[in-house]
Amino acid sequence: MPAFGRVLARLFVLQASWNYERMQGVGFGYAAEPALRALEGGPQGARYRAALAREAHFFNAHPYFASLAVGAAVRAEMDGEPPERIERLRETLCGPLGSIGDRLFWASWLPATSALGLALVALGARWWAAVAFLVLYNVVHVACRVWGLRAGWDHGLKVVLALQSPALRAASRVAAPLASVVVGAALPIAFAWQLRGASERTWLVAAVGAALFAIVLRLLGPRASGVALAGALLALTWVAGLLWS
Amino acid sequence: MNGLDVAAVVVLGTLVGLDVASVPQAMFSRPLVAGLLGGVVVGAPLPGLTIGAILELFAMDALPVGAARTPDWGPGTVAVGAVAGSHPSGIMASGLLGLVVVAVVSAWVGGLLTHQVRRANVDSVVRYRTALEAGDVRALLTIQRQGLLRDATRSFALASIALALGDVAASLLARRWGGSQDLALIVLAASSIGVVLHAGWRRAGPGLQGLWLLGGVGAGALVTVWLT
Repeated sequence: MPAFGRVLARLFVLQASWNYERMQGVGFGYAAEPALRALEGGPQGARYRAALAREAHFFNAHPYFASLAVGAAVRAEMDGEPPERIERLRETLCGPLGSIGDRLFWASWLPATSALGLALVALGARWWAAVAFLVLYNVVHVACRVWGLRAGWDHGLKVVLALQSPALRAASRVAAPLASVVVGAALPIAFAWQLRGASERTWLVAAVGAALFAIVLRLLGPRASGVALAGALLALTWVAGLLWS
Repeated sequence: MNGLDVAAVVVLGTLVGLDVASVPQAMFSRPLVAGLLGGVVVGAPLPGLTIGAILELFAMDALPVGAARTPDWGPGTVAVGAVAGSHPSGIMASGLLGLVVVAVVSAWVGGLLTHQVRRANVDSVVRYRTALEAGDVRALLTIQRQGLLRDATRSFALASIALALGDVAASLLARRWGGSQDLALIVLAASSIGVVLHAGWRRAGPGLQGLWLLGGVGAGALVTVWLT
């Protein structure tokens, strides 16, 4: 397998040893390693060892967009760029790649595809809903990793040019509204699916309950966890139901 | 569930747990998929998918942004999905409530254990720091392998415990539940939809994004009315 393919495959385990000291750093070095073998002197050479040590230093970004930094760092090492410039490149990319990835994937694409999957389940698609979610999500996910590595590999230290691509800008504009619409649309559909067959009174009480739940969470402030509050409410209901018997 | 089913659920739960962050982050660990997989193992995908879909609503609350420690839904959802599927007569709302509680607790514990795994990974880095700074590829490989092994152990423990608790919740306690099934249904629907409503609004805010969200809610309501 060519070095590009081996680096790409290893990017999928970028976070295997995620830790509070180097974060993704060790995984970054592990992913870049196959390409570094081509450096002068091979895997026993001084350039390879120096580059490997450098690439395993601290790094943290969005795991999919990290491929861009790995590709750029590999290219810079191959081009014999000064070590301090490569270090600076890695440091500089952490923030933007984390921010873009978080906005595009965690805050938009994941909620949108997840909500779509939920709506499909509710509309009767059964297991196809989960398959559709997986396929839809991962087509974009894998394409992002491949594009990122290719773009970094091609641009090297000028990788910022790749971040200014029209496609990425368009995606940034569309992603958040798309996620809002799909999540919003999934809400009533999922609600009706959960209460299928229930009486009108049950529907009304559940709707008021959902609104109250959201309002209480809002009043509790940004640090309140919806899952924690829901877990407590569910557990209390469950225990109360057990004691009732 | 026979012994083979239990082993398959735990192995699957372990693999799904690895997906959360270690490898390959392809969202097999999302409740929608994990619940279905749990159901498939015991030959009843639909109950697994049902509980997975309910848990997916809760999972939309927290985003795995940056270095945040978020709940790990995967292993627990595989386990409760399998438990739901293994009850041939189907699970009533009260049983579903019990399984959701087990999955929520499991997800929360999973997040705490992830923190411990990450701390243990720091120990590995400290132990091999000299070798790492010398560019020793063996040190790199060892740290990666140890990290994977720790995460696999975490997921294995989580799937095993969730399976045991889920079985107790569904088969023993659900039969003793004295509350009404409607109450269980209302609490499940209100809390899950309330969580997404709040999360969606928190992300969208009151501006244009909020309007997109409201527009989506309106469109979804129309679809629901049209279908019912």
